[in-house]
Amino acid sequence: MTQVTKKQLVMIKGTKSGLVLRLDDQCAYSELISELEQKVRDEALEGTTEIQLHLGNRFCTDEQVKELINCVQKSPHLRVTKVQSDVIRVEECNRLIRESQSETYVGIVRSGQVLKAEGDLVIIGDVNPNGKAIANGNIFVLGRLKGIAHAGAGGNHDAVIAASWLEATHLMIADKVETMTDELTVLSERPEMECAYIHRNGFIAIDRLQELRILRPNLSTFKGGS
Amino acid sequence: MGEAIVVTSGKGGVGKTTTTANLGTALALQGKKVCLIDTDIGLRNLDVVLGLENRIIYDLVDVVEGRCRVGQALVKDKRFEDRLFLLPAAQTADKLAVSPEQMKELVTELKREYDYILIDCPAGIEQGYQNAVAGADRAIVVTTPEISAVRDADRIIGLLEQEENIEPPKLIINRIKRHLMDSGEALDVNEITTHLSIDLLGIVMDDENVISSSNKGEPVVLNPANRAATGYRNIARRILGESVPLMSMDEQKKGFFGKLKSLFSK
Repeated sequence: MTQVTKKQLVMIKGTKSGLVLRLDDQCAYSELISELEQKVRDEALEGTTEIQLHLGNRFCTDEQVKELINCVQKSPHLRVTKVQSDVIRVEECNRLIRESQSETYVGIVRSGQVLKAEGDLVIIGDVNPNGKAIANGNIFVLGRLKGIAHAGAGGNHDAVIAASWLEATHLMIADKVETMTDELTVLSERPEMECAYIHRNGFIAIDRLQELRILRPNLSTFKGGS
Repeated sequence: MGEAIVVTSGKGGVGKTTTTANLGTALALQGKKVCLIDTDIGLRNLDVVLGLENRIIYDLVDVVEGRCRVGQALVKDKRFEDRLFLLPAAQTADKLAVSPEQMKELVTELKREYDYILIDCPAGIEQGYQNAVAGADRAIVVTTPEISAVRDADRIIGLLEQEENIEPPKLIINRIKRHLMDSGEALDVNEITTHLSIDLLGIVMDDENVISSSNKGEPVVLNPANRAATGYRNIARRILGESVPLMSMDEQKKGFFGKLKSLFSK
């Protein structure tokens, strides 16, 4: 019995980037929060210290996470920068899987039609004018993109749009929009094998497909090989 | 059991009604029993193009509302004995007077008696369109070599492809002006078919006689020497399952000069 009470529920570790609070994942939540309250009160600190919360295998709802953060930040010297957990909900997990997967559509996206994907979107066929392709991830068109494409619709600024023939009327990546008018200097005479991405300057840029390897090295998921 | 074919385009004024009238006439010329249905309620004119305006007694709305039997409303084209009939649209009602279910029922009834039912669809994608496609087995999309018409055709093809009971639509490119296509000012046939990527059923050359014959109430297809008529006749044969080579626009020119030559040699 004495052993149980002596067990530390909140472990404090110092790292280069601040303090890490490792919270016990076996005890009751109420015990944890009361010990956490004590611990942060005990500290005699000056200035602001950045705190990382490690929840281990404890699943916390959004409200609970908020409560934990508020609890720590009651101390004016502490600021939570990161909350890390080893567990997530099944729905959340499925969503992440879907977002990392790619969906394939074979056919033509015609005028007035909207195609949506939670992850990457591969279209084998054309996207005709007034047709729209929306994806949270990247959009790849093996055909002529002559309509509207919106990649990274969930806010991913690293998403790209690539097409065998990039002649879109509108390109959107995350919250950026580019209308492909003739005034745009980047438009090429033969828009073959091109890609669109958000340039460092914050605007949508168009480049040769081959440049993607350098622009977005993380796109490649291929591991190994020579 | 016959087949119902809807003639549609999305955009107005590309020649749906003219195409319906001429294909119906051409199929009747081939010995088929044909019934044309005008679904453009409120703006009917298929009857005018066929020259049957003053023979209308009952119309489509009278039939679906049970004021008469189908047989009473059908107007017979006397030029073709018992092979060409028209079910005219009402002029005093609007598109909401008929529901897709009623149309489907009507078309199914007519299919028992006729080889081909051609349904003339109104412009647009609203109720009138819904009514027109409700009973159809096949669809013909009419377009002209103009970007606006091709855009609308693309939209309508997208809608037709979602209809489960209709075969993949086929395309007719109407009102082709050869000199504009040659000079690159109008879209050419190849561009249109690759853009829309559906099967091409046929092309029809632009011809002034189409207008004058429509005004006279005689479909142009009745005049075999006319180049637009040749286009329509070829399309009718393709509908019947024959494989007719696509008339090349060059041959058309040769044919024209050939005809001139034969005129002089007489």
